[in-house]
Amino acid sequence: MKIIVLNCGSSSIKYQLFELPSQRVLAKGLVDKIGLKGSMIKHWRDDQTEVKLEGEILDHQIGIEYLLGVLTSEKYGSIKKLEEIDAVGHRVVHAGEMFNGSVYISPEVITALEECIELAPLHNPPNLKGIYSITKLLPSVPQVGVFDTAFHQTMPNYVYLYGIPYSLYEKYKIRRYGFHGTSHRYVSKRAAGMLDTPLHNLKMITCHLGNGASIAAIKNGQSLDTSMGMTPIEGLMMGTRTGDLDIGAFLQIINKEELDISVANTLVNKHSGMLGVSGVSSDMRDVEHAAEAGNERAKVTLEMYYYRIKKYIGAYAAAMGGVDVIVFTGGVGENDAATRSRSTSDMQFMGVEIDEDKNKSVRGKEAIISSETSKARVMVIPTNEELVIAQDTYDIVLKL
Amino acid sequence: MSERLEDFSLGKTTQPKGSIQKVGVIGCGAMGQEISVLLSQSGIEIAFIDISDERIESVMKRIERQLDVRISKWGLTNSEKRLILSRISGSTNYDTIKDCDIVIETVNTKRKGTSLELRQDIFKKIEAVVRPEAVITSNTATLMISEIASVLQSPERAIGLHFFSPVEKIKVIEAVRSLYTSDETYAMVSKLALLIGKRLIEVNESAGNVSTRMLVPLINEACEILMEGVATVADIDVIMKETSGLQLGPFEMTDKIGVDKVLKWMENLYAEFGESKYKPSPILKRMVRSNLVGRRVGEGFYLYSGSTRIPKQGSVIRLGRI
Repeated sequence: MKIIVLNCGSSSIKYQLFELPSQRVLAKGLVDKIGLKGSMIKHWRDDQTEVKLEGEILDHQIGIEYLLGVLTSEKYGSIKKLEEIDAVGHRVVHAGEMFNGSVYISPEVITALEECIELAPLHNPPNLKGIYSITKLLPSVPQVGVFDTAFHQTMPNYVYLYGIPYSLYEKYKIRRYGFHGTSHRYVSKRAAGMLDTPLHNLKMITCHLGNGASIAAIKNGQSLDTSMGMTPIEGLMMGTRTGDLDIGAFLQIINKEELDISVANTLVNKHSGMLGVSGVSSDMRDVEHAAEAGNERAKVTLEMYYYRIKKYIGAYAAAMGGVDVIVFTGGVGENDAATRSRSTSDMQFMGVEIDEDKNKSVRGKEAIISSETSKARVMVIPTNEELVIAQDTYDIVLKL
Repeated sequence: MSERLEDFSLGKTTQPKGSIQKVGVIGCGAMGQEISVLLSQSGIEIAFIDISDERIESVMKRIERQLDVRISKWGLTNSEKRLILSRISGSTNYDTIKDCDIVIETVNTKRKGTSLELRQDIFKKIEAVVRPEAVITSNTATLMISEIASVLQSPERAIGLHFFSPVEKIKVIEAVRSLYTSDETYAMVSKLALLIGKRLIEVNESAGNVSTRMLVPLINEACEILMEGVATVADIDVIMKETSGLQLGPFEMTDKIGVDKVLKWMENLYAEFGESKYKPSPILKRMVRSNLVGRRVGEGFYLYSGSTRIPKQGSVIRLGRI
């Protein structure tokens, strides 16, 4: 079965063409700068053909049409005609309380997802654009939605409720949902597989550290807690998001700077985090370079970043009554040895100890980086959300 | 040499019919600039037309400055600013709007008397270049869209679309159908409103619509109260803001809109209805004659220093000057 996986962002689309059940990636690429100057598709095929094609991509539908055109083209294609595409799997950020697993996208599901726009106003609209476009371009091809929030639907109510009047939860579904669920799910499964231990026997803490970042406590294979909340703002300090912030402080900022809601939203989502504190960049590498060059604000930014991860690891170990495995994934988690080292330092008391040499040698590949004597295993596992989406799509379409 | 993406098109999506990809803005004054930024922010490409290259350059600079202010107040990021600016371009040549789906006329004439002929002339120029299905709108507050559109070959494509400043914040747009406006035209502007997150409120054609007709007597009455010496400019504004939930008091509003523009509205409404409630207050006429037309010249009912509003201390006889 040939399955296209789409991850539609506001101005880009990541795509992969999978062959299932072999899980072979036939082609992948990026539709970039949609609606902007310099829009293009970067395409890769499994025979290592790489090509960058430029042209005008005004919207998501045109971008998807071009990527289908490239996939079926004689020169760069992996398939001969569109009819060979058996299904399309979409990454969808927010499904609220609607779905606790991946689903076949019916008109009713689309309506339900449209209702979730309020919960993820930045992410769900482009995800939906991808779904609308495929509905138009490949009307007879089944589509599956795989949700970032679904994996965390196992969180118990004492974890997902906020300490606010209960009526607000009932009226507006204000509660914690968590994100990066597909990634946490993938790396936790993969870690169990690598350790040859059943997931349901493990207490795991998975750290997805990218530009957005979240940590999850996964007990017996189920998400018990995660650091992001109703929105991706809560939890760890991120590239441009605040992470945890005292609401009293936030109210004070709104009052002093006379901000309206949309501006306040931009402040905490786009001007804060590493960028806001360091004044240098939202990119970990830039902040590290600045810190090495003696920039004091960059230094404190890094300390804050490590400390918050550490705090959550401690909290989740307490919540689960211990920890057997800590996994690092995401751009920073997979590549940045300093983050892995500093956020797990001085944790021998809870059985966590990193082998610094191993740690330093690992970039972007699967590895165990804890020392021989460490009771808990510390691992690096590159995430592969696309594969999870392809696999879920395959499983669902088979049953149709 | 290099291949283009267009070579890989499946021919399924050209420009989806009825979609809004590009909007023309004719006359890029304060209102035109605000509309351009809002539309560009929603992913729509903007081609604006203005009278000279110098003017176009200054419009782009002003837009950039306004975006910088928003960045400094946390409302926008640098990359969003670049994105917004990349979608806006200006020209003196009407050919640049020929592929627009909607064209919005927002000219601001300083000439005395009616600007009807000017707007009609612009409508004709727009119609000469755009596609047959393109919609033509005017942001006029007090002129009749039926009358402006009467010069078009296809008057059914015209509709009044009255935006309010600050465009970014105010959630409604008055939509005024002329006698000719087609349902397709209305559907198209409804789609535009949806795209930019505004609510379209359809009003029947009448000079001043709802907003301007309500505003004009309020400002006139405020002038009356001022002339009687009941309260100062600043006190009248504070009382109206606190008690009526207005964002700006009547004088603050007049300075912001432009005293000359308010006067023009009044003259148009007075000419249309002949009612004394629309008859311009003598204060407004004196201010316009003295070029104390409000914020954009640094003085109106208040003095302005940058973005700070300073109450004037003098008597009303001297228009507040000492």
